[in-house]
Amino acid sequence: MTTRSNAWQQFVWVLTTLLSHYRRHPGQTVFMAIGLMTGVALWTAVQLINDHARSSYADANQLLGAQAGFWIRPKDGKRDGGRDGEGVPVANYISLRRAGFDEIYPVIESRIATADGELVTIIATDLLALPIDSLAGPTGSGTPFSNDLFTGRQWLPLIQPQYQAWYPQSLASQLGVAEGDQLQLPGSKRLPPAIIQAREQQGLRIFMDVGAALSILERSSFSYLAVTKLSPNRRQLLEQQLPESLVLVENQQALDLSQLTASLHTQLTAMGLLSFAVGLFIVFNSVRFSLLVRQGTFTTLRELGVSTQVLGIAIVVETLLWSVFGTAAGIGIGYLLSGLLLPTVAASLQTLFGAIVASEIGLSKTQVLAAWALTLGGLVLALAAPMWTRARMSVLASRSPSEWWRVDERARWQLAAAAIILMVVAALLFPMMDTITDGFVVLALILFAGAFFLPMALHLAILLALSVLPSSSWQARWAVSDAFSQLPQLRIALMALLLTLTANIGVSTLVDSFRYALSDWLDVRLSADLYVRSDSLDINQLRSSTSNKSWLINSHLRSGISTRWQNRPTRIEGLDVSAPDSQAILLATQIPNGFIEWQTGSNETVQPILANEQVHYLARVELNEVVTLDTPNGPMLFRVTGFFHDYGSPYFRFYLPNRSFKSEWPAASRDGIALWIRGDNFAAAEQALINAGAEPGDWVRQRDIRRISLAIFDRTFAITSALNGLTLLVAGIALLAALLAIHQQRLPEYAHWRSLGMHFSEWFRLVAVPLLILVTVTGLLALPLGWILSWMLIHELNVTAFGWTMPMLWSWLPILQLAAVTFSVVFLAFGVAALRVRATLPTAIKQLASDS
Amino acid sequence: MLELINVRKSFVQPDGDVHVLNGVDFNLPPGQSAALLGESGSGKSTLLHLVAGLDKPDSGTIFFNGQTTADFTDTNWNHLRRTQLSLVFQQFHIVPTLTVADNIQLHARLAGKVDTVFRDQLIERLGLGGLDNRLPHQLSGGQQQRVAIARALLHRPKLVLADEPTGNLDETTSLNVIALLTELTRETGSSLLMVTHSHEMARHLDSQWQLHDGSLSPVGQNQEMK
Repeated sequence: MTTRSNAWQQFVWVLTTLLSHYRRHPGQTVFMAIGLMTGVALWTAVQLINDHARSSYADANQLLGAQAGFWIRPKDGKRDGGRDGEGVPVANYISLRRAGFDEIYPVIESRIATADGELVTIIATDLLALPIDSLAGPTGSGTPFSNDLFTGRQWLPLIQPQYQAWYPQSLASQLGVAEGDQLQLPGSKRLPPAIIQAREQQGLRIFMDVGAALSILERSSFSYLAVTKLSPNRRQLLEQQLPESLVLVENQQALDLSQLTASLHTQLTAMGLLSFAVGLFIVFNSVRFSLLVRQGTFTTLRELGVSTQVLGIAIVVETLLWSVFGTAAGIGIGYLLSGLLLPTVAASLQTLFGAIVASEIGLSKTQVLAAWALTLGGLVLALAAPMWTRARMSVLASRSPSEWWRVDERARWQLAAAAIILMVVAALLFPMMDTITDGFVVLALILFAGAFFLPMALHLAILLALSVLPSSSWQARWAVSDAFSQLPQLRIALMALLLTLTANIGVSTLVDSFRYALSDWLDVRLSADLYVRSDSLDINQLRSSTSNKSWLINSHLRSGISTRWQNRPTRIEGLDVSAPDSQAILLATQIPNGFIEWQTGSNETVQPILANEQVHYLARVELNEVVTLDTPNGPMLFRVTGFFHDYGSPYFRFYLPNRSFKSEWPAASRDGIALWIRGDNFAAAEQALINAGAEPGDWVRQRDIRRISLAIFDRTFAITSALNGLTLLVAGIALLAALLAIHQQRLPEYAHWRSLGMHFSEWFRLVAVPLLILVTVTGLLALPLGWILSWMLIHELNVTAFGWTMPMLWSWLPILQLAAVTFSVVFLAFGVAALRVRATLPTAIKQLASDS
Repeated sequence: MLELINVRKSFVQPDGDVHVLNGVDFNLPPGQSAALLGESGSGKSTLLHLVAGLDKPDSGTIFFNGQTTADFTDTNWNHLRRTQLSLVFQQFHIVPTLTVADNIQLHARLAGKVDTVFRDQLIERLGLGGLDNRLPHQLSGGQQQRVAIARALLHRPKLVLADEPTGNLDETTSLNVIALLTELTRETGSSLLMVTHSHEMARHLDSQWQLHDGSLSPVGQNQEMK
């Protein structure tokens, strides 16, 4: 009987023998490592960003470590537009502090334009008014904001003239600001000297002292007052002391942000998982190949008396070793990658949702364990099928090439059957799809069905090609039939390529459609030439002055309030129904004559109202349904006569004609005025604005807003492009790994061909043509799958997630570009593999000679 | 050492069952060697695979060291192959990623019986000195087969099964390899059952057997056996 130490020794030698494969084939080892690392890295990067952003929402509105539990805001629902007279007057703040409310600190949050037309956000507070606890620096959580700020006296220059403005590195780079620079604002104003450093929750905002902000922005009010934790008694006391015009509201920003950004994070997670799946395909390919190449070794070990169990355990241990390595390296790279991608995502989150994401990413034990579990799961999954096949095969059969052909044929049929089952399940689930997660599940089923069907499609395509080729063209027939030899090895890599191409087509169609729709919508919505926001502007003078008739065609004064409805941030706006942009509101749907009814008003007590599509899809309000909105006079009923397009908005929005709006919200602030200019009389218009009390910088031209909107859009989707590119790169690596593996395995065969007098160029054609056929068929299959993906994303997932629709724009140009990139990647991979064959062929020929 | 009684084996083919072994009886005493001759497809390798436990007979019994293998489980066969049997193949079947030294010691290590003195003797006798750190693909076919023989003998098995061990080698090398194989098995006291289609090679072994139409019959015996 084998003693325990003998058994252990035997196991060690089996493992050593198996692992010697990696030592002798560094190329394959590298590809296996790359597959694992890229898969884990992309998934980890996205997860880190998601977790990080979510934890940032939990700290929403935290400023230098002080967490606002409550806000004090104007009662009339006026939105602080960064203008004086809006928000909370300084005098109110002073009186509250004097009354002993040390929990209160002032905040100014203002979006301003620089002299170059860039929009930046200022965040300012009174450092000395921040609660004492936060001055000591937050504890735990590993935040970069720590005692360093408040140790010594380095904060003094921030609060003393000439003050300082703190820029996060990425914002400074974007604006071209260097340390010590003073950012130029319109007119002669400048921000204080720049310091390039970011604090927790600063996001992409410029931080400065509130005194400096009041002076530079020329205002005598704060955006709001923030209040840290309050006991019920203190809260009651504070509410009693508040002036009539102010209200204490609980900070629900974290909840709002989680709600608003959930869809974006789900999409990012889906992209991350797709990247992981593609990485997994590489691993699957490498694992399968490493098992196949070692087939002889396995059989030899079995012939030497090693049991299947010992072999199995050795392979499991090998898997564990790979998973530990893959996780460690993948997480390391993922961490670096997340640092590179974070600014893009943070910019998206801030511009889309106003969510501030801290600039430093932390790595938790849970994330490491999750990545490891996923890697191990993936590897086990990749190992399961080949191991199962191997375990069922006898020692003798495993030496037989015909047995492996049979295995491959069986696998092709099994995959095709699995594809059909997945499609049927997807078709059954489709009508029941209700949430974005359901949608992604259905999408995943369709994508994997496509990938699983690919080997059968490729096999049929080769058969078809052979059937149409005349028997006289023997070289062409040889080349096409060689695809049968390459297919088993290329199968997995081509499946990964199919997934990547499908994702690329689907996502880029979504982004292009969105951009096209947004651009169209901006043209309609921003039909005015100038947009003015100024409190000092005398609008009546501007409109009535006869001298202005020469340049002013039309104007539209908007007003609105911010509120919450159905537990979601909501805007209610009053429009001038006769204004050109009101006339051209893009309605997605309306009751018969709904728009006219809305314009003219109703004699009934329930007034007509227009709502954005988000109200329809997310709050499930139907046409003609009556909604209740809170007004200063109590709840009021409105009947929805139409839904308008509001691309990309995370908020609910209602439009009322000005007269209805004013009667319900008489104290609502004006949102600004839009001006239509005759010809290009901008100089006259701007002079008239100054005469009417506005200041330079109070207005912005339509083309600038359009440019900024599209720039924000492009920045928002930069992460998508980045992930698309990375996934294609990973698929390219998978293909290269597979080609190298095929060539290494077939080297003796190539040596035989060479010994028959075949030139390298002939070999090149013979082996490249089948690859070209296989990649082309894969690309063709990606087209309908990409179309389905786009359709699902646009018509189902976008509606479920964001609550708005858009027309799908199917464009061939990006598809042709993708095809060009794909074939370049394929040829590059093939070129590298061919060069390797060329280098190793002479040795193989010598080997052939010595064997014979 | 090895005894086969009425062993039968057939394979299912599209055009009907093929009876490869049709009641084979055979006996190989300890320390003796026997050559198994026959045409291609006569079932020589099948017989060897049955003896090694790589395949199962349809009927009949195989005795190893007086013990029947009829009830052997996979574990029993694995143990037997690891400790008492050795296989030498035409295609060498050495591990391509292990060095010569590791390949030679592999079976002995798995059996837990590495005798370093014997190892060095084998390396010297088989002319493999100085090749320790070479990889298999850096060796000639003859050298690779000698590595396989060294691996087969180092743990001093009771029975060596060789399937056309010189099929891939030229005549001079073949004769050399066979001479070494028979000489070394004799020295280690191992029995040797070798499949070959070459009567020239078969003459080096103690007895010669012919497999024809599924039946095995003796065709010759060397002087020492008589």
